[in-house]
Amino acid sequence: MASGKELADFLAGVERRAFKQAQYAVRDADAALDIVQEAMMKLSEKYGDRPAAELPPLFTRILQNATHDFFRRQKVRSTWVTLFSALSPHNEDDNFDPLETLEAMPGSQSAESAADQVERSQVIAIIEEEVGRLPTRQREAFLARYWEEMDVAETAALMGCSEGSVKTHCSRATHSLARALRARGITL
Amino acid sequence: MNENEFGYQIRQALNEAAGQLDYKTTYRLEQARAAALARHRAPATAPAWNPSMLAAGAGSGGPRLGWFGGFGVAAPVIALAIGFIGIYQWQQQGAQEQRISDLAAMDFAVLMDENPIGAYADKGFGALLRGETEDL
Repeated sequence: MASGKELADFLAGVERRAFKQAQYAVRDADAALDIVQEAMMKLSEKYGDRPAAELPPLFTRILQNATHDFFRRQKVRSTWVTLFSALSPHNEDDNFDPLETLEAMPGSQSAESAADQVERSQVIAIIEEEVGRLPTRQREAFLARYWEEMDVAETAALMGCSEGSVKTHCSRATHSLARALRARGITL
Repeated sequence: MNENEFGYQIRQALNEAAGQLDYKTTYRLEQARAAALARHRAPATAPAWNPSMLAAGAGSGGPRLGWFGGFGVAAPVIALAIGFIGIYQWQQQGAQEQRISDLAAMDFAVLMDENPIGAYADKGFGALLRGETEDL
């Protein structure tokens, strides 16, 4: 059985990846944080007495289910929002902050020293963006296999499909991702 | 580059991205983790049953009793109820026999004309005789 410390260490190690995975799916940081919190609480409350070895696949499954639940709730909510959106005024410029678009002066010290970091961050941002654009099942399979480092059998058990389907999803995800990144001038 | 190498490269990039989260996000993740751990139940170390489990099991956070454990709690209660019913029946039976015996003694006294003459003039005595006789 997982002790409190084992559970705390597990959650600390997995929380950032979980947040990123949720964010790729829902494309909203606040919603992703809510999903991660919900998944953490469910794991701790319902499955906290499971052996430590069972926690990673359980948590990934709970996180996926929480993400799917978010989409279900959003679908219901969007129905009502669509109905009433025509009645509310549109003030899209209210949240505009000029500091967010302010760029460093060309040739300044800060711009020069951060050039490499910015380029690397841009590449990472594009990779994240393209990962987020993958179809849901392909993304789940790809991230489980190559980010969570699960083998094919574990991924199949997690996704509730055959091992052949996992291989197909991963292969398609890899090819789609490589093609999309190449189209944007990124070669790994 | 094959699929595994490509996956490794992507993994490196994603790990880097996860390591660059801003303070607000990491703070909220820490808060979420703390809230989740506060709900963690300590693993049970003593599976043996004791009376305090019954009280604890009544709440939502207590240990759950299986069907066998539930039977273990219900059996003494059922036995106690059966005992009470038996005692009640036994007392009823004894009281009825006692009443029959009293009435028989009274009838015998009437037949033998051993009752005092004042008893026949008492309305309550007559009503008692009639009522008791009807009950029988």
